[in-house]
This record gives sequence, structure tokens and C-alpha cells, in this order.
Amino acid sequence: MTATRRRQRSPLLVLSLALAVATAGCATRPDPSDAEAVAEFQANNDPLEPLNRGMYFVNDGLDVLILRPAAEAYRIFLPPEVRTAIRNMLGNLRSPVILVNDVLQGETQRAGTTVGRFLLNTTLGVGGIFDVAKDFGLLGHTEDFGQTLAVWGMPEGPYLFVPVLGPSNPRDLAGAGVDAASNPLTWISGGEFFDAASNTRIVVQGLDTREGLIEPLDAVRRESLDPYATLRSAYRQRRAAEIRNSAPESPAARGTGFGAGTGMEGPRR
Amino acid sequence: MTALLRRRQMLAAAAVAAAAKVLPAHAQGVDIARATSFIQATGQELVAAINANGASVAQRRERVAQILRRAVDVDGVGRFILGRWWRNATPEQQQEYLQLFEQVLIRNLSARFGEYQGVRFALGRTQARTEDDALVNTVVERPNTPPFGLDWRVAEVNGQPKVVDVIAEGTSLRLTTRSEYSSVISRNGGNVASLLQAMRQQIQQLAAREGG
Repeated sequence: MTATRRRQRSPLLVLSLALAVATAGCATRPDPSDAEAVAEFQANNDPLEPLNRGMYFVNDGLDVLILRPAAEAYRIFLPPEVRTAIRNMLGNLRSPVILVNDVLQGETQRAGTTVGRFLLNTTLGVGGIFDVAKDFGLLGHTEDFGQTLAVWGMPEGPYLFVPVLGPSNPRDLAGAGVDAASNPLTWISGGEFFDAASNTRIVVQGLDTREGLIEPLDAVRRESLDPYATLRSAYRQRRAAEIRNSAPESPAARGTGFGAGTGMEGPRR
Repeated sequence: MTALLRRRQMLAAAAVAAAAKVLPAHAQGVDIARATSFIQATGQELVAAINANGASVAQRRERVAQILRRAVDVDGVGRFILGRWWRNATPEQQQEYLQLFEQVLIRNLSARFGEYQGVRFALGRTQARTEDDALVNTVVERPNTPPFGLDWRVAEVNGQPKVVDVIAEGTSLRLTTRSEYSSVISRNGGNVASLLQAMRQQIQQLAAREGG
């Protein structure tokens, strides 16, 4: 399956690399005597800005042509109840990964919540279709290995914009790789059925995520004078809040939980 | 008010460390109970305006804009957001910037809140005091939407509690917009006029979308 995925992504990767080479270069460093400009440069932590803006441009094209229309179609053709059920199931399937990271962060209470939710939702919730655990007071949350690394004190590294995945950084990308590897579903194979099911899960996860972001991303495109800079700032702030576990119920718990996101959550319609 | 904002800038971002030296910082504390009741009252007004029966979209939006103009420290927020570029701007540019900023902020916020039909809100779990302002947590609920956390940063401005930042799910409007504006200016050779031009265009587009 991993091989299949790699094959699917390769044209994109080639395109990205070509563009990377074309626009290669590092962000212009500010005048070292201007303390405020230097501080801002460091706070942005985006030394690869020209490259990242190139990637953002590629992503924008892909998004307008493919990703957003696909998410729109997903919203139009499936009724809200079905989409909620799908979102619940995807969240439930991620429980093992969330649990591992709860434990690695020493969050015993949250780990207990994750186990409780998984047991209740898998049984009473009919394989995760219904989030019954919520009615028992067990609200969902998400965790990923990028957050665990942050809790362990690893810095995020330079900002990266990855086409399709969105804003990220080396820490969160590495974390996403570890999460994929630690997910039992990654290792279930044997036969076309499992491969098809697991590819379907990945595609549906993408659709669900993008569908949830239709309004927020439209708002950024409409309202921001520099959507790239807005997303960069929003992603950072949002990740910091996720790492602090400050949200009452993390929206990502209902979707992919993938570290890369936009830092915003869309309304469910 | 100016001193207070200067102070917060300094605390919030090392980026303006130099600017903070200009004015002595004497923070004026805001009473947490006062901040909380202010947000409760403002929130109820907003919810009533958004859910007003029989009002047209334009009427609702206008009502929301009125409430926001009163509750938000628009000038203070605007100056915070322009940050280090404020001193680079001429007095005329500063004045025009504040006028444009008010329009952009109020239009964007009221368009956003205007979509929240059927919204309900409640005070959340944590009401925190920081050095010179208070953070009031609310939970916003809409039909068919998971509840989300909205934090209001409240400071005392000329003896009145005012909203100085809105933080949705950990994302501060003030910080995000500062990043946006600073990026526009930096990418145009540090020219504040380029930001003003972009803002003027944006207001035209927003007005066209609202239908005048």
C-alpha cells in the first residue's frame, strides 16, 4: 500500500521538485542592524520562503482545479448524516495512534478517555459510526507524533508548505510518518480487499478534511491580502494550541488528525 | 491606552522591543469580573442581532457592525497590527490606515458573524488574568456544528472595557493579521503605501460583494 501511495504521488513530487529548483533560493535576510526586522524574520521562521511560496502556488492551482471541487462534490452528493458518520468512523480508526501518543506524552487521563471512546464507539457506536462516547461525557481529542515530539522539547524546524498536505514543518512531517507507521491499519494487508479499503480510507480522509475546510479557506482567500502569510501564522498558532491541549474538543479529532492543517475548522453543513 | 498597547506589544513579541522603550509602560489592570460581564453583555447583544427575526441580511450585518464598533478598541488593535511599520508611516498614512482598518475589520467580522444564524454562546471554563488584560473564554454553538472555543482579550481603554483581540481555537486575529500586513509591506520594499493600496482595493471588493 505504501508503495502504491508513493507511486500515486510521484508526478506531483516531480512537479514540486522542478518548481523548487526553478524558484530555489532562500528568503532574503533582513538588515542585521534592524532589530525589529530580524526579530520578525526569526519569528516567521521561514528561511525557505521563496520555495514555500512556489509550493503554495502549486497547491493553489491543484486546489482550485481538483481538491476543492472534489470536496464540494463530496458535500453535495452525501447528506450531512452520512458525512458525520464517515468523520466519526475515521476518528475511531485513528484511536490507536491517538492512544500511543497520549501515553508517550504521559497523559494518562486522556489515554483513558481514548480507550473508553474506542470501546464504546466500536461497540455501541456500531463500528464507530456514532459517537456515543460523547453522550457519556468522553469528548474526543486528537494527538499525533508531531505534538509528542513538541512535548518532548523538539523544535519545529523551518516552516514548510507541502502541496496537498498544506502547512507543516520537519517535526510535524516526521511525526506524520511515525503515526502512519504506528497505525495498525498500515500493516494490514493481504489481498485486494484490504489494499482497496485502505486506499479508500486515505482518499475519504482527504475529502473529509478538505470539505471541513471549504468555508475557512474561502474566507482566507477572500479576506487576506496575503493568504500565504495568514496560513503560516494561523498554522503555527493552532499547532501551539493543540500541543498545549487547550481546546475543549479538538476539531481534528473528528477528521484526519493529520498534523498538517490550516489551523481552522469549518462549519458542518 | 497607547502606553498599554505599547506594553502589550513588547510582551507579545520581541519584534517590537525597541518600540516599547519610547513610552514608559504603566499597565492599568482590568477587573476580571468586569471583563467577564462586559463580554457576556456584548455576546448577548451580538447573538440577538444575528438571530433577529424578520431582519434582512443587510440589516443584521449593520446591527452587528454597530455593536462591534462600540465594543472593539479598533484604533488600538489597528496600531498593534501595523506594529513596527507604524513609525515608518507618515501621519497622513497612519490616519488613512486607521480609517481603512476600521472598515476592513468591521466588514469582515460582521460578514463572518452574520453567517452564524442560530448561534448560541456561553461563558467557558477559564477566565484568566494576564498582566494588563483579561482573557474571557466563551463557547460558541451553532446548529449542526461542533462547539468551538472563542477567547476574547479585554483591556481597559480610557476607563472602558474593550475587546482588543479575538482568539478562535487558539488562533489570534491580531497576530494573524499582523503577519499578513507585515508580509504585504515587506514584500513591497517596506512601503506602507502598498498596504494602504491593497486595503483600499479590498474594501471596494467587499462593498461590491455586500451589494453597496
